[in-house]
Amino acid sequence: MAGGKRDKKDKEERKSKKAKYDAEVYEDDDDVDVDNAKDVPQSATRECVEAAPEDEFGAQDYRKTLELKLDHGSRPLWIAPNGHIFLESFSPVYRHAHDFLIAISEPVCRPIHVHEYKLTAYSLYAAVSVGLQTNDIIEYLRRLSKTSLPTGIVEFIKLCTLSYGKVKLVLKHNRYFVESQYPDVLQKLLKDPYIQQSRKRDQEEGAGGEDLIAGQLSGKSALQLNKPAPKPGDPQAGPSTGENGESEENKETVPEDIYELYDKMDKEDDDEDAAQLKTVSFEVNQDMIEVLQKRCIELEHPLLAEYDFRNDSINPDVNIDLKPSTVLRPYQEKSLRKMFGNGRARSGVIVLPCGAGKTLVGVTAACTVRKRCICLATSGVAVEQWRSQFKMWSTVDDSLICRFTSDAKDKPMGCAICISTYSMLAHSTKRSWEADKMMKWLQNQEWGLMVLDEVQTIPAKMFRRVLTTVNAHCKLGLTATLVREDDKIADLNFLIGPKLYEANWMELQNLGYIARVQCAEVWCPMTPEFYREYLVMKSQRKLLLSTMNPNKFKACQFLVRYHERRNDKIIVFSDNVFALKHYAVKLNKPYLYGPTSQGERLQILQNFQHNPKVNTIFVSKVADTSFDLPEANVLIQISAHGGSRRQEAQRLGRILRAKKGSAAEEYNAFFYSLVSQDTNEMAFSLKRQRFLVNQGYSYKVITKFDGMEQESLHYKSREEQVQLLQKVLAATDEDAEEEHVLGDITSKGSFHRKVGSMNSLSGADDAVYMEYRRQKFVHPLFKKFKKP
Amino acid sequence: MATTIATKAKKLACKDLHSFLRTLPPTVLDHLYCHPATCLAVFRDLPELSRHYVMRIMFVEQAVAQAVVRQWSTAPQEEQLEAAAALMELRVWYEKPLPGGMPGWLLNHVFRKNLHTALLGGGNPWIGNKDLTIDKYAKDIPFLDKYALERWECVLHFMVGSNQGTDGVNTDITDVLLHSGLMRVDEGEPSITAEGFQFLLMDTSSQVWFFLLQYLDTVQSRGMDLVECLTFLFQLSFSTLGKDYCTEGMSENQLRFLQHLREFGLVYQRKRKSHRYYPTRLAVNIVSGLSKAAVDTHRPGFIVVETNYRVYAYTDSPLQIALLALFCDMLYRFPNMAAANLSRTSVRAALSRGITADQILHYLQSHAHPEMLKNSPVVPPTITDQVKLWELERDRFKFNDGVMYNQFLSQADFELLRNYAKDMNVLVWEMPEKRVLIVTKSGHDDVKRFWKRQKASS
Repeated sequence: MAGGKRDKKDKEERKSKKAKYDAEVYEDDDDVDVDNAKDVPQSATRECVEAAPEDEFGAQDYRKTLELKLDHGSRPLWIAPNGHIFLESFSPVYRHAHDFLIAISEPVCRPIHVHEYKLTAYSLYAAVSVGLQTNDIIEYLRRLSKTSLPTGIVEFIKLCTLSYGKVKLVLKHNRYFVESQYPDVLQKLLKDPYIQQSRKRDQEEGAGGEDLIAGQLSGKSALQLNKPAPKPGDPQAGPSTGENGESEENKETVPEDIYELYDKMDKEDDDEDAAQLKTVSFEVNQDMIEVLQKRCIELEHPLLAEYDFRNDSINPDVNIDLKPSTVLRPYQEKSLRKMFGNGRARSGVIVLPCGAGKTLVGVTAACTVRKRCICLATSGVAVEQWRSQFKMWSTVDDSLICRFTSDAKDKPMGCAICISTYSMLAHSTKRSWEADKMMKWLQNQEWGLMVLDEVQTIPAKMFRRVLTTVNAHCKLGLTATLVREDDKIADLNFLIGPKLYEANWMELQNLGYIARVQCAEVWCPMTPEFYREYLVMKSQRKLLLSTMNPNKFKACQFLVRYHERRNDKIIVFSDNVFALKHYAVKLNKPYLYGPTSQGERLQILQNFQHNPKVNTIFVSKVADTSFDLPEANVLIQISAHGGSRRQEAQRLGRILRAKKGSAAEEYNAFFYSLVSQDTNEMAFSLKRQRFLVNQGYSYKVITKFDGMEQESLHYKSREEQVQLLQKVLAATDEDAEEEHVLGDITSKGSFHRKVGSMNSLSGADDAVYMEYRRQKFVHPLFKKFKKP
Repeated sequence: MATTIATKAKKLACKDLHSFLRTLPPTVLDHLYCHPATCLAVFRDLPELSRHYVMRIMFVEQAVAQAVVRQWSTAPQEEQLEAAAALMELRVWYEKPLPGGMPGWLLNHVFRKNLHTALLGGGNPWIGNKDLTIDKYAKDIPFLDKYALERWECVLHFMVGSNQGTDGVNTDITDVLLHSGLMRVDEGEPSITAEGFQFLLMDTSSQVWFFLLQYLDTVQSRGMDLVECLTFLFQLSFSTLGKDYCTEGMSENQLRFLQHLREFGLVYQRKRKSHRYYPTRLAVNIVSGLSKAAVDTHRPGFIVVETNYRVYAYTDSPLQIALLALFCDMLYRFPNMAAANLSRTSVRAALSRGITADQILHYLQSHAHPEMLKNSPVVPPTITDQVKLWELERDRFKFNDGVMYNQFLSQADFELLRNYAKDMNVLVWEMPEKRVLIVTKSGHDDVKRFWKRQKASS
């Protein structure tokens, strides 16, 4: 395993390098947990690396190794020996190649003409787990490729797929089985002493119990949905028929072999009923499952968890269904088909853009499984949103839903759907009596489905704690951005399951399922006074100065005014609380941040949604995820968390929900990122945009607004600007820092280190010793008069 | 005193036929018009109104009153003047007073005669006036196109300094390149200049034309006759692609010129001594190709530019890839495609070599892949904006003219003048320690006068 070792070394090197830059580069700083190596099979860290000669310009030169096919014009792919795949989107077979590539590889970037994908160990693992075979993958790639297939790639695919996805852990009739279509794989596993121990043998069979149980697997999809009656004006009907016609026309130009194969694949998709697969299995002891799973990973045969919920008779059925009026969009249906493809529920992650209806996917999954379901969200507001979505889309009774957050705890009795937050469940210190009772109850339950919202935000450590406290047969992760600056996202593959589906943002946008957003980067020159200070300040202060740049303020005020005149709803984001408050107070708008109470939050949000007088709100990063504000269509970002791609995408997601009635305009939502020129905001902003740019979005750079001079804006005169500068300089160090959200997963505890000199400690920098008391002391006698 | 700093490399200007001819001395022009081909080429290149004038007085042997000419069209005054001036500059007609003293125009006699021949027929065949036997090694058009392109790319390769097929480049070509400033000699080796990079990004027909202009500049120093060369060049441009012509009847000079054209790829000749040659597309298009759109006619576009700054080039031509590598980071080379990335550093590297943002964008646009042409604008606006912004980034200094005063004898003198300048609001900068101050150019006169008064009074 020389390759694996080298990779690990590389990673370590990278890590140490990163540590050095950490002070400068604001990467997503999640806790680094060391012990996760055990949960991930070794081969998963493998990468397809092949040294290629470099040409005179420093590019990887594959001209010698790859041979061009004669009919390359009609084939859509180039496959580089390092696993990168390039797909022409204007090829006649684009659609099929695209579906196939989504299944076997990770999309890297998907702009208009040429898309890039990457084959990784994880993506291949996902491919196998949804039922693709090693030989099919290789064969299809070979046919789609313009060139000969690099031998390294073939080996890589074989290496990654041969052992993966062959064995499944199935819960059937309330007994756990290890099941496989490949008897030899099972035999091999059974040779291992640990696995033998965990095997459950029937008493009477005794020594003769070596035989495996033979069974059959029906390929019928378990997903049953309300089919919309095809209407003439239906947007879904249009493209699908058009596409059929197109493929008929193009048939002549496409090599015959490509068609053969995708006919075969289509058939597999359509006639799922026909597939009857022979399987063999053995039963295992329920209490040995942990050991078994770990051992299987060590043997490079990670177990795929599948839940045969139809045959589960111990857990009671829950009486919920989708409302007859609920209709799923084609991509939502497609993603769920991947999950319920073979009549059972697979665990995995579904990736849909923000605003594309992830919640509905979750609700539909719950209605399909019809067992007890637990949903985990990131914040209290999100919990409320999940609850209302459940009520909106399904026939669930209010009494069946139970919320478990610090603010709202419903009675768990008789409940079937529990909605809570990650921090609530992962809380490891002492809880209140009520919460403790609730937790005990949660732990004792056997859950049919666990829906994990915004999975990308949770570090592995907390995740494992959640997953071990709550027993669920099937786990569904939902997210919009499967990226993290620290690449830990890959661990999710083994904690939840493979990525089942990933939608193409641009495609959804073109079909009108999400808003068409105009992204813009507004360059605000620093005023000379601010820039002078900027150059001499420390890094934290630099950030504050660039955020408080008067030109930026002017641009923000101008944009707010401009869009309010158009009757738009505007959200302004600032990570820095000092700036947030200052901007909001100066412009006389409501603001919302970490310490804002739940009640006030809801009130502000409701006003924003329904009150025509409140058109602009200022929010801190607490609103990054799961704040569902369908009305908002303009977003202005004045300060952000370093170079986090995820945050940028999540924020864009706040305005992505499809807008009604404005089809005439080219764009119906606007995303402005205000950047102070010549500061490190510029570099960060370039980094932040990478994810969205790779999804096909393009940022327009605005250096000047027309008509800004005519407006009466704040901080126009130099005196005002200097006053502002004084204010900024007087701000404390703490003000300069970003907000640490309470219960935020990234917060590192309640203490913080302050760098200071002896002078400042002794009072030379106007520091004054002052005693604070956390809680006012209340005499026991007065305790009962304390306000609730 | 006032200083101006030239920061930018000079932009490469490619003259068109008209502005080239304008620079020639009258005698050369008169000589040129001795051949019908030249006359026709010049006639075609004239502005529409000028052509109209020429046509009307083609058969008039006397001078025509200017007032009459003015009445021929309803076009605005400026356009008429321009048309008349164009004819003047090229000596197609000249001023001649009418018998009554009225100013009039008279068409150049030689020009008239030869244009007659060109338009109405007659005279001798223009080139190769002897019938040839059928060529054993007849060449078809695709072969000629391929040949021309190969030869031309040889020249370009030589400029980029890539080692591919540059052995065919001889001293004649090197001389022209050095003479034109596209290359210069650095440590004994010719190396490319900023203008050279700009040249590379032009489309082929402009490149050929520019190159030939430079070549014609050097013709006389080689002891050749400019008129003969030009005449032959115009004759070539009226020849038929794919047809062979005979070298018999050509002068010694013209034969030498033919050899040079052969090196550039404008004509194909199987052997040096061979009596027949084929003009290639480069030669046939030389005059007509200029005025046409800047799209490269030799091959379809091949570049795809994405909104995420990726550039995909559907080509295996090492030259095109080398050109792309001037302003892109190359990532992958596939047998028929190369993937690259436009980045700030790569574009800045190109800018610092003297290539302009416009030239980069023009190159991307004129070689755009057919798929890209479906979009409008062809190159994504974000890319266009960004490349231009990267260029602007390098140019953020503002220069103001000013006048510096120094060498004051005393601090008091300095302060006196400084205070005056300050009060007048013309002071730009001061440095009391060294007694230096700078005032704006507009304030200079005032300050100077004040200073003189002061000195006079003291």
